[in-house]
Amino acid sequence: MPIEFFAKVSVFCFLASYLVALGLDAARLLKRLPVARWVGLVFGLAGFAAQTGYLLIRGRQENLPPLLSSPHDWLLVLAWIVVLLYLFLTVVDRELAVGLFLLPIVLLFVGASYLVSKQPNPLIAGNLGLVKLHASLLVLGIAGVVVGVMLSLMYVVQHRRLKQHHASQPGVLLPSLARLARWNWWAVVVSVPVLTLGLGSGVALGLTSQKAGAVLSFSDPIVLGHGIVWVAMMSLFVWLLATRRSTGKQVAALTLWAGGFLLAILLGLQVLSLTTFHSGAKTSWWEKHCKVPSAKCKVQSDNADATQCSSLCTLHFALCTLYLPSSCFASLEARA
Amino acid sequence: MNLQVVYCNHQSANLSIRERLAFAGDKLEAAYRELADRFRSAEFVVLSTCNRVEVYSAQESPDASPTRKQIAEFVSDFHRVPLEEFSDELLAETGPDAVRHLFRVASSLDSMVLGEPQIVNQVKEAYRVAQDHNACGPLTHAMFQGAIRVSARVRSETRLAEGRISMASVAVSDFGRGIFDRFDNKRVLILGAGEMAEETLRYLCEEGVRQITVVNRSLENAEKLAAQFAAVGARSRSWDALDEELARADMIVSTTGATEPVVDVNRFRAARRRSGEKPVFILDLGAPRDFAPAIADLDDNVFLYDIDALEVTCEQNRKSRYREIEKAQVIVDEEAERFMQDVYHMATGPIVKRLREQWHDVSRDELERLRSKLSHLSPADLEVVERGIERIVNKLLHPPLEALRHEAKQGTPHGLIDALKRLFHV
Repeated sequence: MPIEFFAKVSVFCFLASYLVALGLDAARLLKRLPVARWVGLVFGLAGFAAQTGYLLIRGRQENLPPLLSSPHDWLLVLAWIVVLLYLFLTVVDRELAVGLFLLPIVLLFVGASYLVSKQPNPLIAGNLGLVKLHASLLVLGIAGVVVGVMLSLMYVVQHRRLKQHHASQPGVLLPSLARLARWNWWAVVVSVPVLTLGLGSGVALGLTSQKAGAVLSFSDPIVLGHGIVWVAMMSLFVWLLATRRSTGKQVAALTLWAGGFLLAILLGLQVLSLTTFHSGAKTSWWEKHCKVPSAKCKVQSDNADATQCSSLCTLHFALCTLYLPSSCFASLEARA
Repeated sequence: MNLQVVYCNHQSANLSIRERLAFAGDKLEAAYRELADRFRSAEFVVLSTCNRVEVYSAQESPDASPTRKQIAEFVSDFHRVPLEEFSDELLAETGPDAVRHLFRVASSLDSMVLGEPQIVNQVKEAYRVAQDHNACGPLTHAMFQGAIRVSARVRSETRLAEGRISMASVAVSDFGRGIFDRFDNKRVLILGAGEMAEETLRYLCEEGVRQITVVNRSLENAEKLAAQFAAVGARSRSWDALDEELARADMIVSTTGATEPVVDVNRFRAARRRSGEKPVFILDLGAPRDFAPAIADLDDNVFLYDIDALEVTCEQNRKSRYREIEKAQVIVDEEAERFMQDVYHMATGPIVKRLREQWHDVSRDELERLRSKLSHLSPADLEVVERGIERIVNKLLHPPLEALRHEAKQGTPHGLIDALKRLFHV
């Protein structure tokens, strides 16, 4: 099939496919529908094919691998890896309820890709090898954390079922607690070193870029965010290796917290951050929607360098992250 | 003639009620004494298992048979449980429905785990114990022997006994497999050495369990059971080693007949201190329960299941085999109908016998008279006369007996029996 076939594929195409696949998986909670499994798989495969084609087209347009084209493509590559895992597990064990856990994360990544910049970063051209390594390691590390989060969620659901004596639903099965705990342990233990290497390569990239005279700061919100996440994940990693008598539920809870934190920071920073080395965008969703602080940043950026502005906007991001949900709750309460 | 069953089971009453009404251990002997004192002429069989408490009664005369209320009062007085606490959960069936109920129970159609083999042995044991206490009579003999026969027929003519057919298999497949992904490296502790323990062990061995310890109050019984599974490394230990084994076990199956929990919260907490918070799967198949329910809340890795916790899983298992249920139900209905006809027919037996005897006595008297008056007849001629008279008697007897047999298909023909008695002075 020629790649041009995918030229008209939009993000919405595969987003809708994954949404239907998730809906069909969710329908099996209500009623055992063997056909839903197969139809869901077909939608998943269709979405995967469309996404693959879309990423290849994007890579060709930007003349860069999809992983490096833009934050938009980077998020889609991350989603693509998770979809691949979903399809593999679904084909291997048709009874496993992986779609219910993995597809929402896929939808989150694909949905978030709408909100981030599609423009390629002009600064990566000089260090393509190191940038490739940095982006690949980070994406693999984050995919590992996503798997850990999924396994932890499965653990919590399975644990709750067993504790509350609920019978398992045929066609929507979960692995045993022992297996989930073991896989979760490995997911964290493998992904954290990969993340560490990813951050390490990022530091090396930053240093080489600064030497080359590029405007790059370690106070970039994404760099800072990833650093904080890394500390959280590394704490979990050390705790896992040091604690001999940790229970599966403790590991699952900590992975959920640390992994959830990582996803929130990752998506939050990608979506909300200003013009940074990582976003490569002139205007972001953040700038479009949070006018006053953005304006302040704009003023600052006229007077000071971009580094200072980025730090301010990191604080702004934190405030807005707190503000947006609280305003939603307030409006819901008002409606009630 | 009156057949009756007063019962509560896993569908009508929860375990907390059933365990208080159970006739476990020595209680059964006292129960039969009490029943004999209260209802002197009735026949009784008491069936008490983890899933049911049932009192079967039968009486030739309907007027003197114990009522549901009287049986309920007996249960209440015997266990010292106020009647109002379980009155709503206590069900009753009479006549053909009582027979059908027993046949369903013995065929395991009424069991939590459809097709489970233990119930027919429990029915046999209940019948044997009733016989030992001279509580059985012709009706209960017929009922229980019929039930055992029906159970065998259901087992051989349907596929009800295939698949997951024990509590242990249902619990392990749904819950045990949700906790562990393999069993060959798990330490299994069996508390109790009865039939259910044996059945559970057999299933666990099929699942690959290789480290089994049987602990029982009677070490001799524990040794006997462990010896049966010596090939897979089963061993027995005395009751004193219970605390040590509780701490070592990954999986505990308890099937004792104890009337009080054998493991309370403090005892298990001490065991957890020694074992750490490793996952432990406890399957409490005892009724009354062997493990205090609060043990489930000790920590996140204690997974305790009693019989009631398996109810939903068993229902799913049941639904998956509804076609076999239908086939078995047809057999049960057919056998119950045949049994009732036999019973009704049995009720007409004495009148038929007396009528035959009376008429044959008359014919014999007349033959003697003929012999003395017609002495010139040869023995061959006399034999011809004798056969002729016998044929006449049988032909005369045939219409009333046929009417009696026909009526007996619908129930005991009390009206016809009375009419025959009055007409022929029998």
